[in-house]
Amino acid sequence: MFTPFFYILKAKGVHVSLTEWLTLMEALDKQLCGASLTNFYYMARMILVKSEADFDKFDLAFKEYFKDVKSENIPDYVMRWLERDDPNEEEQQHMAEEAQKRREKRDAKTVNEQLRERLAQQNTRHDGGKHWIGTGGTSAFGNSGRAKGGIRMGGKPGLSSAFMVIGEERYRDFRRDKALDYRQFQAAFRQLRQFSSRIDEAKTELDLDGTIDSTCNNGGYLKLEWQKPRKNTVKLLLLFDSGGTMIPFSTLCNNLFQAVNKANHFKDVKTYYFHNCLYSTLYKTPECMTGDWVETRWVFKNLDSDYKVIIVGDAQMAPEELYSTSGNYRGPNGGYSGYEWLEMFKRNYKKVVWLNPRKVSYSSSIGWMEAVTAIEGLIPSYKLSVDGLKEAIKYLTGKIPSPV
Amino acid sequence: MSEFQNFQGSVDYVAGEELLAAVNVAIALQKPLLIKGEPGTGKTMLAQAIAKSLDKPLIIWNIKSTTKAQDGLYMYDTVQRLYDSQFGNEGVDDIARYIKPGKLCDAFESDEQVVLLIDEIDKADLEFPNDLLWELDQMEFYIHETGRTVKAKHRPIVIITSNAEKELPDAFLRRCIFHYIEFPNRELMRDIVAAHFTDIDEQLLDEAMKAFYSIRGMRDIRKKPSTSELLDWLNALMRGGIAPEDIQKKLPFVGVIVKKDEDLETIKANRR
Repeated sequence: MFTPFFYILKAKGVHVSLTEWLTLMEALDKQLCGASLTNFYYMARMILVKSEADFDKFDLAFKEYFKDVKSENIPDYVMRWLERDDPNEEEQQHMAEEAQKRREKRDAKTVNEQLRERLAQQNTRHDGGKHWIGTGGTSAFGNSGRAKGGIRMGGKPGLSSAFMVIGEERYRDFRRDKALDYRQFQAAFRQLRQFSSRIDEAKTELDLDGTIDSTCNNGGYLKLEWQKPRKNTVKLLLLFDSGGTMIPFSTLCNNLFQAVNKANHFKDVKTYYFHNCLYSTLYKTPECMTGDWVETRWVFKNLDSDYKVIIVGDAQMAPEELYSTSGNYRGPNGGYSGYEWLEMFKRNYKKVVWLNPRKVSYSSSIGWMEAVTAIEGLIPSYKLSVDGLKEAIKYLTGKIPSPV
Repeated sequence: MSEFQNFQGSVDYVAGEELLAAVNVAIALQKPLLIKGEPGTGKTMLAQAIAKSLDKPLIIWNIKSTTKAQDGLYMYDTVQRLYDSQFGNEGVDDIARYIKPGKLCDAFESDEQVVLLIDEIDKADLEFPNDLLWELDQMEFYIHETGRTVKAKHRPIVIITSNAEKELPDAFLRRCIFHYIEFPNRELMRDIVAAHFTDIDEQLLDEAMKAFYSIRGMRDIRKKPSTSELLDWLNALMRGGIAPEDIQKKLPFVGVIVKKDEDLETIKANRR
């Protein structure tokens, strides 16, 4: 049943697995949604979609597949409302005062026709106003409105229409395109651990070797020894290029950023931003506003050499941005060229890597590649991808030697 | 519809239409219900309400960053056994004595059907949910030390909450029924308030809600105030005997709903 709907969902980018589809079939078998399209909508969504980010895609697919079903069959109870014309006293009085004229213009047939028409036209939420289906206002359709003699939609259990819920498109904000699942990034970052027990904590772990020694010394009677738990001591300094050429990679950078941020096993994470190349100041926000920065020297002074530095950028810059002592066209150079600042980073920190989303594997002598090649000759560079990140982490943890 | 045990919401928990459907579908299909939403939207309370309205005991397994899947199953207290053996205590031979059941084990072995809440699953390690796949699917696990298989006597109703701090693995998500709790709109919020305060002054509530939603709507607020904070605030306002017309002007006890210095600054800047 509904198999085409499955493929429409797939086409719209909702990742539905066969398991989930079969679960939905099972639910239909058990008649969990009755004969209501609205209940079916909710049920299908709760079984097939596992992130609010995909609700919107699901809505689009649902609309496409079920649109015709709805506009041809307006449920009986709606029709019954249309025929019903027995307002109670209070309503009558209210109408006499406010809405007499409007009510007289509406009869069942025309309202019904208008509804179909507007269902076809309307695709967003409308609150207030006198034409579209929505809440408030004086339109003949919707709920909480002041109009009489129209159609009430939604607002009460069982009476709401699936399309009204869809029409609201409440979930658009959650939409994001996950080009690369950042769970993979997270998994990669788990490798970035260096354990040390030199921290101030209570001794809570059993020290096996110590226990054996003490027990032997104790004439065979058990004597337990405890030790401090080992904790990850990795500290990270993340530097993101926030320049114009990086815009196509913002999702990728965002994934990386999220992965680091949500990994709670690092001892410390500091993030700064730069434009094209590192100079004497590092920006605190991705907008790179002049003045909203810290001195690079302050960073050198305050973040010790154990911080592992990950620079994320495409290294696309003119040669003078790298080599000239006035190459920074957005801020101060501090008397050194970008290249010299990069050298200083390399001197100050034991491990520095460059992650490049644009990195190509062959070296090239094209003009704009000059800076890329120069940087790759100075700082170990990897492609910003799951595999590249894994390699970079191997280098950061000392498992492979520096490629340069 | 007959398969539904029909959860209808309870006196002090006001549930939206969608949520009720989700709970009932999860019960009927015997799948765990995964609930996601902003902090303070009542995820934990939901499980309590379900347990109460179905009249079943609730077992809560609180997940912390150090929790391992094994903790929920059982713990073999080797140290105690070693100690006991030193002094020749009775029953040292009986390993089962040193197997301490975890929360999942409690839920499986219970004589009646229970509601099992796995609270804040995203707090644990990335692989944690994967480690529970078999146990939650088959509702059984194996104790290596004693060679015993623990099988659920009555399949528990499993509710899992997540604050979306970490992405959950796909294999785990496939097995769940998903529900996203949206922040309640004003109408629902009124119902929620009414469930908690029976005799609240209408005007006070109006003014407080206006102030509350306007703070939530400010662009730069870092930690948006939640439902539970609104309830606390209303309580403070009532007890403080604050005149309704002062609420929007002076924002008394604003510290109850806004906890960060930056946010207080933002509010000041916005009100100017």
